[in-house]
Amino acid sequence: MNKTITAEAQIASNIVSAKISARKVNVFYGDTHAIKDVSIEILDRSVTAFIGPSGCGKSTFLRCLNRMNDTIDICRVEGTIELDGHDIYDASVDPVQLRARVGMVFQKPNPFPKSIYDNIAYGPKIHGLAQSKADLDGIVESALRRAALWEEVKDRLAAPGTGLSGGQQQRLCIARAIATAPEVLLMDEPCSALDPIATAQVEELIDELRKSYSVVIVTHSMQQAARVSQKTAFFHLGLMLEYDDTSKIFTNPDHEKTQAYITGRFG
Amino acid sequence: MKEHIVSSFDEELQKITARISEMGGLAEEELSMALEAVRLRDGALARKVIESDDRLDMMDARLEHDAIQMLALRQPVASDLREIVAALKVSSTLERIGDLAKNIAKRTQVLNEGQPLRVTGSILRMGKLTQTLFAEVLDAYTSRNTSMAVSVWKRDVEVDEMYNSIFRELTTYMMEDPRVISLCSQLLFVAKNLERIGDHATFISEMTYYVVEGEQLGDDRPKGDPLAAFIED
Amino acid sequence: MTDLASSAPQRIDWSDAELRKRLARRHSGDKWLKFAGIAALAISFSMLGILVLSLVSNGFAAFTQTHLKLEFEISADRVSAEDPAAGNYRAIVRDAMLGLFPEVTSRADQREIANIPSNGAQYILRDRVVADPALIGTRVTLSVPVSDPYDQLAKGLVDRKTPEANRRVNDQEIAWFDRLEEKGLVSKPLNTGLITNADSRFPELAGLRGAILGSFYALLVCFLISFPVGIAAAIYLEEFAPKNKLTDTVEININNLAAVPSVVFGLLALAVFIGWFGLPRSAPLVGGMTLALMTLPTIIIATRAAVKAVPPSIREAALGIGASKHQVVFGHVLPLAMPGILTGTIIGLAQALGETAPLLLIGMNAFITQAPGGILDSSTALPTQIFIWADSPERGFVSRTSAAICVLLVFLILMNALAVVLRKRFERRW
Repeated sequence: MNKTITAEAQIASNIVSAKISARKVNVFYGDTHAIKDVSIEILDRSVTAFIGPSGCGKSTFLRCLNRMNDTIDICRVEGTIELDGHDIYDASVDPVQLRARVGMVFQKPNPFPKSIYDNIAYGPKIHGLAQSKADLDGIVESALRRAALWEEVKDRLAAPGTGLSGGQQQRLCIARAIATAPEVLLMDEPCSALDPIATAQVEELIDELRKSYSVVIVTHSMQQAARVSQKTAFFHLGLMLEYDDTSKIFTNPDHEKTQAYITGRFG
Repeated sequence: MKEHIVSSFDEELQKITARISEMGGLAEEELSMALEAVRLRDGALARKVIESDDRLDMMDARLEHDAIQMLALRQPVASDLREIVAALKVSSTLERIGDLAKNIAKRTQVLNEGQPLRVTGSILRMGKLTQTLFAEVLDAYTSRNTSMAVSVWKRDVEVDEMYNSIFRELTTYMMEDPRVISLCSQLLFVAKNLERIGDHATFISEMTYYVVEGEQLGDDRPKGDPLAAFIED
Repeated sequence: MTDLASSAPQRIDWSDAELRKRLARRHSGDKWLKFAGIAALAISFSMLGILVLSLVSNGFAAFTQTHLKLEFEISADRVSAEDPAAGNYRAIVRDAMLGLFPEVTSRADQREIANIPSNGAQYILRDRVVADPALIGTRVTLSVPVSDPYDQLAKGLVDRKTPEANRRVNDQEIAWFDRLEEKGLVSKPLNTGLITNADSRFPELAGLRGAILGSFYALLVCFLISFPVGIAAAIYLEEFAPKNKLTDTVEININNLAAVPSVVFGLLALAVFIGWFGLPRSAPLVGGMTLALMTLPTIIIATRAAVKAVPPSIREAALGIGASKHQVVFGHVLPLAMPGILTGTIIGLAQALGETAPLLLIGMNAFITQAPGGILDSSTALPTQIFIWADSPERGFVSRTSAAICVLLVFLILMNALAVVLRKRFERRW
């Protein structure tokens, strides 16, 4: 199956090329083997969804892509994950810088208890991306515009970010992530704490972001994966059982387990 | 396939499958009654066919309603989605088969007014074959048997060929004796209806294949071209 | 589904007598629990009330001080302009008193009369003249405290009906004092000396200035040591330390340290700070260092709890945009944990403020009549001062001890109030 995927990705590379390619990735938490031999090519300028039952390793794998797992002492990653052809687990790669290139949005909207402006400006500030105050203002505005939040907050940039509604907070977090001009955006169940309207707004935003970034989204909602993604990977018990076009997965998946999972037959 | 975690989903799916079986049985019965009516020149039986078709129409409407409800409320994907979409299409196909059977029954009333013709035997043989294929494809659909479905799909060409020969036979009759033109044209319609039923049966076999394999059966089905007879002439 | 429907749940008759009785029992259980809670609160509040009431009623007397308004003649032959500090002020006070009782001629009586104003009156007068030498050769009217027995008499603490032999003032002395009162020379103003004076052998002059300053310096030293060290230790343990046996041991020992009796810290300080390092005895520096030892575990525990309470989502958010570890800690974790840390620190300091035993061991219970000018001067602290006064035989110290305890309690309440205010002020939602 992997062979065909790689071939497909190569064919597609005229328009969209593989942004991240992972080969034989294994992750261990102490003695637990959390991810087993996962190989995947994640395309640029497209949305890739990771689906699977709880504890299947999809979030763990997502966190490997920007080395967030480094912060956990007992976590060990094997195999290679390449971003634009460079191994991100290479000793020469600083995870702090990598995370500016591979941004992340979390399950619960988690703005800093600071002003809206400072929330966005934090990343560019610590990475030294702005030369002047005017520069920073520009970055903040463009990040908020890209996150479709500018119109709603432009008059109250000094107001605390925690005072926004849940959906706005999540879009603020997305704006914060894109303020460091990342190439890849990882989203770990970004809508699970949001109401349907806010979810729709975030999904619309994801669709918009697809034009400039490679977006990887972990979601528990199959409908969401179907709605926003072009590629879907199905994880089960640490294995990636199937990876294909979303339209294929949701009409005629190859793997029996995928079929059982997306039709609600698990257990 | 395993059951759904939500058991009421399974119940609804089963209900739809049962409806299709029931409709299939009804359409089958209609067809055999219509053919019996042709054979026995039985007007009463023909009227019975016409009456029972109303029930088939009603069942089709009900199944369509249920299927739309399921699409809206359950948002089925993969095999479930294919199942429901196929059920929708098969249901309306069965309804159309019922219409065709009804049409055959209607024509018996005209046929009964004239002399019995020898060609009726050929038409009844064609009817037998159509019936067999239809019964088989219904079996294949309910049991999700793709090889059986593919065999029906391939054998439809026999029905087409029979139709072609009947067509030729009937045109010969009509050329020989203009008095039988009205009778023969009725018989021609009966034969055409049977040929249409055969086509619908192949459509059901295509649906069977789609439900199971998730892919279309393809477009290279062997077909008996009715015009071929004239071009050859 | 059908088999589920066939085994439909049986309906329960909620009006059943047995069930009702059970319900009533459960409700009465609730009521008892609530009552027990209220009773416990009432008991603790009444205890506190009794404590405060007895302290205030005992100490109330010490909040005022009987003063005598006297006119002093600063004659040039008693005080020389060149060295005003060396004058014979004792004689001036004596003359002023005798001037009020010209009929008394007996030497013994004259001595008694001269003892009515406090022994400190001469020093008050001296300080006044030293401050303003132009007063030499003029008459000065000053209000000076009366000595302890008369102070007690004025406040009604000496019962005039007691047999003369059992009284601290005899009938003659009472008569003299009554004459002074008749002349309107006696007043009982607020006893500011309690706060502004340093310690003294004479109760009417004794104040808490030295103790308050001593406690302040000690707490300052304690804060400057324990706050940064405690936070640094807590941050390391919480954010950087690997989770292994060694860290676990350190953790357990920090918790144990918090439970060590304070007197042990005193002994340790005596041996190490004074014995080894040769730091001065009785100094707030040593006191503060000792108190810091005790406050450290409290601050470490409070800081760790506050750091732990910072939601991991904030840490993840910062790490997720590429903040380094120290940026996460200083930019996000510490500011969010600060209210908790400050609360813990202030409570730790309040505890340290009330601590007595270790200070006794390092000699902060010496008799020192001078307020400390810095952390190296000898001094007492509030609790040790209370200890000293409680030990003193003079009657006047009884009420002063209670008053000093009240002062200590006021400081504690202020510190706790500050903790509450800081927590409220810096509390942020996330």
